[in-house]
Amino acid sequence: MTPATPVVLLVLALALTGPGPAALARARWPLRAPRAALVFWQAMALSALLAALGAGLSAATLVLVYQDPHPVVVALHSAALLLTLVVVARLLWSAHTLGTALRAGRRRQRHLVDLLGRADARAPGADVLDAERPLAYCIPGVPSRVVISTPAIDRLADDEVTAVLAHERAHARARHDLVLEAFAVLHNAFPRFVRSRTALDATAGLVEMLADDAARRRSGDVPLARALAGLSTAPAPPGALAATSVTPAARIRRLAHVPASAPLVSAPAYLAAAALFAIPTVAVAVPWLSAVTASLT
Amino acid sequence: MDQLWAFEGPATVRQVHDALSRTRDIAYTTVMTVLDRLARKGSAEQLRDGRAYRYRPAVSREELTAELMHQALDTVDGSDRTLALLRFVDSATPDDAEALRAALAELEQRRADDGDTQP
Repeated sequence: MTPATPVVLLVLALALTGPGPAALARARWPLRAPRAALVFWQAMALSALLAALGAGLSAATLVLVYQDPHPVVVALHSAALLLTLVVVARLLWSAHTLGTALRAGRRRQRHLVDLLGRADARAPGADVLDAERPLAYCIPGVPSRVVISTPAIDRLADDEVTAVLAHERAHARARHDLVLEAFAVLHNAFPRFVRSRTALDATAGLVEMLADDAARRRSGDVPLARALAGLSTAPAPPGALAATSVTPAARIRRLAHVPASAPLVSAPAYLAAAALFAIPTVAVAVPWLSAVTASLT
Repeated sequence: MDQLWAFEGPATVRQVHDALSRTRDIAYTTVMTVLDRLARKGSAEQLRDGRAYRYRPAVSREELTAELMHQALDTVDGSDRTLALLRFVDSATPDDAEALRAALAELEQRRADDGDTQP
């Protein structure tokens, strides 16, 4: 191991948290291969996290290879170790608080839906709510619920309702909530001035595309697009303007231009995701760990 | 819960069971368990009446609906609750109606053309 290891890892971590996500968020290929893109985002996030933790730990363990370290050197290395531990603690705390809040919110929603929802032949398998506004959503988890309100059913044709329900069931079945939860945990764990919503927003858009693809296989893309247009004309609550995730119009344009599966784009993306994860591990972590082991024995 | 809302005053387990039995086959103990759970979750109130319990709804159907809609439509940016549910269309990202119509018209046109070329 050389003193360069922590530096290499730190540069890698910074590249994978700043320019990497920014470039991926601008790229067009994720529209064609949302599943591969989602895997790529996860590989990038995991790789960035491991690189950051590796930078801290390798800086901390560097002290072991010196024969007779100066006290200042020891102090610096201890600080690196402490910083790494703080990051790990914040991640665990973020996962705990978010997980608890999400589970409590969903439990309450499920309870309310079970009390208020009714079955309706026009929306088989869904809980139908007699509410004032048109809306459709899914409560993820086990057991999951697909909810649609009466005004939404009234507004849509039968095949459009089928498309909406297929979309929501795809979310519930594929546990898209777990992917979003992981990115939200990462997002919440870092201080306000360093974090960005790029990854969270991009992944939220990708899971919508995946659910859209499942829905169009079930009902065709025209009913799905009509349902999107029909339900998104509801006026948005004031002050809730966040031009972040993929808008309904963008989703309809994607249905028009992008076929449901694109293996030619997906395969390289999967390979790149695997490389993104494996190369730093093998190239940097393995020499570092073997050097530490050697110095301890 | 529907049955509790239908009663004027507090109802006994027997009354709720009788009302439910008219439309479906349900065990008395099931009704008792469900009412007990509703009481523990705060949706119903349990009142002591001699040796039996009487139940009445703690909240109206309208109040519960309002709470549910508030949660389901909550789109305050950065709130954890925005993640709790996966909405079909996110009302936080409104589109201009014109863009929606144009996108839909284009898709319908394309599919109509596909239909012409591949009968």
